Amino acid sequence: MPQATGTESFILFEIAGTTYAVRSSVVQQVQMIEHVTPVPNAIPVVEGVVHARGRVIPALNLRVRFGFPKVPFDLRSRLVVINSGGRLVGLVVDTAREFVFIPDTSIEVPPDGLSKLSGKYLDGIATIKERLILILNIEQVIDVSGLEDMAAELPS
Amino acid sequence: MLRPLAKTAHVLVVDDSPTMRRMIVTALRGLGSVKFSEAGSGLEALELMTLTPIDLMILDLNMPEMHGIEVLQFVRAHRTYSRLPVVVLTTRGDETSRSEAAASGATDYMTKPFQARELFELVRNLLPPSKES
Amino acid sequence: MTTPDSEAPDNFGEQFLDDYFAECDEHIAAVRRHLLALDQQVGEGRIDSALLDELFRSFHTIKGISGMVGFREEEQLAHRIEDTLRAVRQGDVSLNVDRIDGLIESVALLDRRLAARRSTAPLPVLPDEDAAAIQPPDAAAGTAGSGPLLTFSIEFTPTPALAERGININSLRARMQEIGEILKSTPTVKGQGEISFQFQVRTHVDLMARPEWNSEGVQTKAEAHVPDIHRPAPKVASSNVVRVDLVRLDELIRIVGEMVTSRARMEDQVKQARKNLPSPEWRAMFESAQTMARQLRDLRDGVMRVRMVQIGEIFDRMQFVVRDMARESGKRVIVNVIGQETEIDKFLIERLMDPLLHLVRNAVSHGLERPDERRSAGKPPEGRLTLRATTIGEKVSIEIADDGRGIDVERVAERARATGLLAPGVPLDDARLLELICYPGFSTRVEADRESGRGVGMDVVKSTVEALTGTLSFSTQTDQGSRFCIEVPLTLAMADALIVTVCGQTYAVPQLTVREVFEVEPSAVRALERNEMIAHRGSALPLFRLSEFFKLTEPHHSRDRRFHVFVTGTGNNALGIAVDRIVGHQEIVVRTIGDSLVQVPGIAGATDLGDEKVVLILDVPALRRSALQERMMRTGN
Repeated sequence: MPQATGTESFILFEIAGTTYAVRSSVVQQVQMIEHVTPVPNAIPVVEGVVHARGRVIPALNLRVRFGFPKVPFDLRSRLVVINSGGRLVGLVVDTAREFVFIPDTSIEVPPDGLSKLSGKYLDGIATIKERLILILNIEQVIDVSGLEDMAAELPS
Repeated sequence: MLRPLAKTAHVLVVDDSPTMRRMIVTALRGLGSVKFSEAGSGLEALELMTLTPIDLMILDLNMPEMHGIEVLQFVRAHRTYSRLPVVVLTTRGDETSRSEAAASGATDYMTKPFQARELFELVRNLLPPSKES
Repeated sequence: MTTPDSEAPDNFGEQFLDDYFAECDEHIAAVRRHLLALDQQVGEGRIDSALLDELFRSFHTIKGISGMVGFREEEQLAHRIEDTLRAVRQGDVSLNVDRIDGLIESVALLDRRLAARRSTAPLPVLPDEDAAAIQPPDAAAGTAGSGPLLTFSIEFTPTPALAERGININSLRARMQEIGEILKSTPTVKGQGEISFQFQVRTHVDLMARPEWNSEGVQTKAEAHVPDIHRPAPKVASSNVVRVDLVRLDELIRIVGEMVTSRARMEDQVKQARKNLPSPEWRAMFESAQTMARQLRDLRDGVMRVRMVQIGEIFDRMQFVVRDMARESGKRVIVNVIGQETEIDKFLIERLMDPLLHLVRNAVSHGLERPDERRSAGKPPEGRLTLRATTIGEKVSIEIADDGRGIDVERVAERARATGLLAPGVPLDDARLLELICYPGFSTRVEADRESGRGVGMDVVKSTVEALTGTLSFSTQTDQGSRFCIEVPLTLAMADALIVTVCGQTYAVPQLTVREVFEVEPSAVRALERNEMIAHRGSALPLFRLSEFFKLTEPHHSRDRRFHVFVTGTGNNALGIAVDRIVGHQEIVVRTIGDSLVQVPGIAGATDLGDEKVVLILDVPALRRSALQERMMRTGN
């Protein structure tokens, strides 16, 4: 993959009108959402499990993750399959169709006071042709250890 | 990977060259709670391993009187040591010995000449974790 | 872990230069001797291949250590000489006087290079060149002597006691080399894994007349004279065994699994085609499909078998642990192993390793008493630990039993009542006892016990076993000991399953866990407080609704419709799990779901039924445990 020094490639996707980016190096594939099997008693952010390349992986609903209301899937919904530290996780997003190079110089540190998203999910912010792109820290996004404490327990 | 309980690991270095043995032991000294024994021949190695339990063997292939592959086959056929981690030392370009070693059950191999650090990493990953780590 | 004890990699060799030069000197001296002998042999028209071997080995070693200390030129030079010797050995080139001269010249060059190297380094005093190098050598030192050449076979069995007194392989070999020549040396395994060494020695000395050759671990016998010197080349038996990467194997199994699903789909389609095809053609197609089904089954069995290993490997490792622990705690333990050849899936065994080790450690540290305690209890001082594995149908049963003090039932009951896990007045049977000690955090030990190991408690043992769709059971008797039994399916990757639906969701239920299935009329269900039950085979079978456990609802779900129940567990532990319908029965490929995000209670894995939709597999024992625990706590029933 030819690239100028000091740029990295990203996959862009949208959630609730905002554009996010993940480093393409962690993206294994982007697929349409066919069938998601719900997993009973899982935390709400887990949409369920899906097939991806012969494996069964969890599908995380990023709308729920970032605090947006859920919407039904449509033809544009996508599953972005991420490989992070050996974990394969699928991210449910509204749409995903762009592959861009972003030069390092265009990436800034996220400012304080970004509501709805705690700073730890963001690695940086880029502005490309007046478009704001939020670059995600994928390890933080798929780390739900804090949320699991709130998981539904065995009925008793 | 699953590991049995082990406090100090006992590593046996088998090579007919005393210089080589010294180099190997020195290269691995940083491993922590490991104790070393040396054998200059396959026979000596077999004798030693019946008298004291060993946890890992570094085995040179080209040795007089009893070839390293024979030693390896012997180790693998032995009840207690059939799963002993054995790292064989091969020579660059000697594909045959390497495949023979693999077929005879070597756990891993290191090609001479090698960097101390390479051997260190390889052996460290094969040993049971010590209490301190 | 600390970093390796060296400076930059390139400097590593520098600390060994003394040893390096010393060893090279030895080899070069030996090489010179051998080359002179070879020279003489060529002149006489015969060449000793053993000598060639030794030469080769010397240069091989010099090459190796030169590379290690970073002397590249010397390494290459030794390599070239090695190549020449190899060619001679293989018969590609002949050895003649010129070639030997060439070799001697190369050795001289090597020597000069090493000397040059040495002069820039701090030097030990170099030994004088071995005077023996110039003399015509004896090919076999020690056969100089009078009298006939005799052959003896000598057997030596090393022991720690002998080793302490300096009587070991090396000292024996030195003795043998002093009086003659070693023709053969062969190790053999005897009895309990001891190794003994057999040597064939040729000498002028009559060893039978010397008592020191038949004492202290050494046994000598006379043999018929063996005329030839020829030392056999190292035998390297080609192996019938291939190392297989488990990941590749799993991939194969996955593919076979997919083939099974595809074939099932095809069978459906073939059946559909019946009405559209003329009978003979359809029949042919149908038969092909049947043949393929059979072949696929064989393929699947074959691939599964590759994953099987003997449980003896694990038992060996456990013995090591036991010996170690026993030594530490001053206890004496005899380990009985039964059924070591029992085969079990490698994946299963890897998952079971930690739980099994935990049970073994428990048995040794808590179950078995010290020798003095045992004596006063009228038991033999050595504790007995039995490891037993057997195959029962499609399952493997692994048992760990000790003859120690047994579990202190009273203490467990006390603690359980104190923490509210057990209603007062409720008696404890073995099954309930097991539930309690496997309850997370329940332990009668206050401090973490080093001997038992941290991180694997009885709760983890139980959950690991159940995640593998297995069962854990146990029995205990005061002063007599305890016995834990783990039952798991022979292989995990594929299983027969019932396919059930609940509130529009489909699940797979491993057949192994199901005792029977039946249909229920809603009116037959009785409720006592919040516990439902139904009369079945003359007793009350507790009922557990999957829809409630999974919090599933469906707008049109009606409690007035007949529904299906599958029964799991036996006797007092039997439980009926209610679903909407049992729709069929299928062979599935079991996939574990690794990610913690979706590891929820009640789900053991995932599969698909042929249409790419993931279907979750129920963890029936966990469901049963959860249901029964709930009821036990509510009503003590």
